[in-house]
Amino acid sequence: MATTTNYGWTTPDDTALVKDGAAAIRTLGSSVDTTTKALNPSTTLGDIEYRSSTANTNTRLGIGTTGQVLTVASGVPSWATAAAGGGLTLLSTTALSGSSTTVSSISSSYKNLRVVILSARNSQGSNFSIRLNGDTGNNYGRQLFVMQSGTQSNEVATGAASINIGTIDSSTNFYDMANVFLDFPNYTNALDKVIRVSTVSKGGATIYSKTGIAVYDTSSAISSIEFFPGDGGTFSAGNILIYGEN
Amino acid sequence: MKNTPQVKIFNSETGEEIIRDANAEELEQMKIDIANAKAEKAEAQAKETAKAAILDRIGLTADELKTILG
Repeated sequence: MATTTNYGWTTPDDTALVKDGAAAIRTLGSSVDTTTKALNPSTTLGDIEYRSSTANTNTRLGIGTTGQVLTVASGVPSWATAAAGGGLTLLSTTALSGSSTTVSSISSSYKNLRVVILSARNSQGSNFSIRLNGDTGNNYGRQLFVMQSGTQSNEVATGAASINIGTIDSSTNFYDMANVFLDFPNYTNALDKVIRVSTVSKGGATIYSKTGIAVYDTSSAISSIEFFPGDGGTFSAGNILIYGEN
Repeated sequence: MKNTPQVKIFNSETGEEIIRDANAEELEQMKIDIANAKAEKAEAQAKETAKAAILDRIGLTADELKTILG
């Protein structure tokens, strides 16, 4: 019996009887129908097909849901929820007040933490310090580059009981407004923590800035941050925003 | 007139905010922090004084040094 080259559908031989033509056409048509359906198993709007492990037979992949993306799992295509993109999630906003403001119970569900402090002021001139996880031990260090109206200096400290990140003062004084940016990369790992510090305090046309790196010796995740005026006084303004970053 | 320093604790998970008087331990830590800050400033001032003495010895002003260092 003759067959087609690609799909092996049965066709009449050259010597077949004409009277058997109708049956031969039915057999061929049925074979074509079966093969076509095997190659196109879609049933629903949005379905797609991919080749299965069986020759001339495709597998139906139903349409995914909104937001899903086509990926590969176990060697075949599939729909999956798109991975969350990078970006910042605002975890908390709180105002600086009192002689100390602590943000506690910081989520450990992110890769990095970013802290932004806007327009911080104090009742008196003071350094602006932070302490982590309530740890008052001498476990902090910093190496900062300080620039004040074009004059530069360095601050280096090891074995300190807190991190001096900048300068704050009252609104009527010189460094009247501190803005702070702190980055805590990989803040949940079991290794010592590194903090990137960028602080700018300004009064009139004068800018006072500190940039550099601080370290905190701990194997614990950072779960709370205390902000305080190291020289004393009471916060009179400012907001702390904490973001989680993935 | 209430003079006890206050502390604020903000729970970023629940949004709960507590403002209360500092306890004895926190007051003691504040004293330590202030003492540490004073000591650090004194150390920085001592370095500045030593630097000024060196500049004076070699006959440069701080502004001249700034110019040299760019």
